[in-house]
Amino acid sequence: MARYLIRRLLLMIPTLLTVAVLILTLLTVAVLIFVLVRVIPGDIVELRLVSGGSFVTRGVIEAERARLGLNKPLWQQFVDWMAGLVRFDLGTSMWTGAPITHEIALRFQLSLQLAIMSTLIAVAIAIPLGITAAVRRGTWVDYTVQIVGVAGLATPSFWLAILLLLALLTYAHWLPPLTFTPLWVDPRANLLQLIWPALAVGYRYSAVTSRMTRSAMLEVLREDYVRTAWAKGLAQRVIIVRHALRNALMPVVTVIGLEFAFLIGGLVVTEQVFNLNGIGKLFVDAISHRDYTMIQGLMLLVAGVYIVVNFLIDLLYVWLDPRISYG
Amino acid sequence: MAEPRRVIATPGPNVEGRRVPSLATKRHGASWLARFVRRYPLGAAAAVAIMIMAVVAALAGTLAPYDPVANDFGAMFGRPGATHWFGTDAYGRDVLSRIIYGARTALLVGFGASLAGATLGAMIGVASAYFGGTTDLLIQRLADIMISFPIIILALAIVAILGSGIQNLILAIGLSFVPRIELVVRASALSIRRTTYVEAARAIGAGHWRIIFRHMVPNVVAPYLVMVTAFLGQAILLEASLSFLGLGINEPTAAWGLMLSGAAVEFVQRAPWMAVFPGLAITTTVLTFNVLGDALRDALDPRLRT
Repeated sequence: MARYLIRRLLLMIPTLLTVAVLILTLLTVAVLIFVLVRVIPGDIVELRLVSGGSFVTRGVIEAERARLGLNKPLWQQFVDWMAGLVRFDLGTSMWTGAPITHEIALRFQLSLQLAIMSTLIAVAIAIPLGITAAVRRGTWVDYTVQIVGVAGLATPSFWLAILLLLALLTYAHWLPPLTFTPLWVDPRANLLQLIWPALAVGYRYSAVTSRMTRSAMLEVLREDYVRTAWAKGLAQRVIIVRHALRNALMPVVTVIGLEFAFLIGGLVVTEQVFNLNGIGKLFVDAISHRDYTMIQGLMLLVAGVYIVVNFLIDLLYVWLDPRISYG
Repeated sequence: MAEPRRVIATPGPNVEGRRVPSLATKRHGASWLARFVRRYPLGAAAAVAIMIMAVVAALAGTLAPYDPVANDFGAMFGRPGATHWFGTDAYGRDVLSRIIYGARTALLVGFGASLAGATLGAMIGVASAYFGGTTDLLIQRLADIMISFPIIILALAIVAILGSGIQNLILAIGLSFVPRIELVVRASALSIRRTTYVEAARAIGAGHWRIIFRHMVPNVVAPYLVMVTAFLGQAILLEASLSFLGLGINEPTAAWGLMLSGAAVEFVQRAPWMAVFPGLAITTTVLTFNVLGDALRDALDPRLRT
């Protein structure tokens, strides 16, 4: 009886449970990150003071370690970090001394905008292409889409980025500026700067999405209700959009969401080519500086974005498919 | 608009209307191979291309026209021509020779990382499915968490811990594949665990090892192979990315990603061949592996989509 009651209670508060699982997952992520980061050999103090080649006494090193809190026992460092996290305080960067939330906020804008632009490009290209390829299966349209798709998966985005730079230099004698202009300061300059990396990344992205759209559509187009729709003489457009696409959209939405989550923190290489100061570049810099607090904060951000996006995808499922409910 | 109707009319439960050979036909190795070549000519061509690539990489010493690491400051940024087919780089090194030697690095890292990662992942996956309970739960949560990081971030973090160099690179890329393969293999292993023949084996008193190796492992070979080929291309891309960032292969070793970094970007207009050819090498190699991977997936286990 007690067990039954507990189960009922849990069923009544699924949202709370989801949140609890979410928090538990994030906590485990935090512990793992904390341990992982500290396994990286060499610490920031040695890296900054000693590698400069200057003469430093032990005392100076110890003092610097104490200032950064690196002399405390590991559990104490972890508790400190956790205590900050609860207040959404990720601590200060060991390298620059600025608050990490501030450092991330500066770059997040750029990474987010780039991710959104790439997604728009990818969706605009991939979904029509994927649908056309599925509907015209076995024709030259289908083969072209497939070839472009397979090639997109194989082309490194950073190489495409280099080729874009080469094309711009050769044909326009112009390079995107090195300093970032926010969208609201000068929209034209901003878009002119970010469209190139968005294109370089968007190609791979659209390749992934169009492949998924095509195979999901193919599966749905075989369904009985689509045959019925054809049989009763509905217009092709209605059948494809309302009957097929709506039902094929779930795996496509998943791919788009996961790829979007990846773009927020995973553009480590493409950002380097365009000299963009985004989250990915911050991550590479943090790793080479052994900036523990920064690596922790960034990994938590990346994992957090992924978990939140996954959660949003689950919510979208309910909207896309009324048969699904989590209540 | 007759096109879609043809799709609907395709009989059978199989993917994309193709007849899919079942796993049972695999017993006859030679005839399976013949059928694979007939049904997936593109995949077969890719397999041949990979073999040729492997031979070229193995014979790099005799095939490469120049020493890939020898500087020649008299021939810096040389245009592609009769002496240097693909031109020379900022140190006057022959680009073609570096690409040929780079194939060694790419294939070594590609095969090393995907085989190591897939094998470890498959072992954990089978064990997780077989033993179940708390072990399974813990492993699954850990895998879920590891998957929430993009592969490149995971590989970057591991490389930071291990340091650069080819062995560490193989290890880092391989390890970041582990959770992804583990989940797929576990899923197939779970369904096998529930079959009656596993139950029968347990009933006649077979030990854990016997059941795992005689009954479960042979049945997850298909997803394992599919994952290995799917990850081969990805491993090569990751190696190129990490080397490009200066966290992978170190100079002066020839590696395609490394060839694209630094001077190749800086002098892209003056010497575009430095950027074009290594990138082409990466793209065609990864493309070939992906085509083979797709064909193998369709042939072995059409339910898998990577």
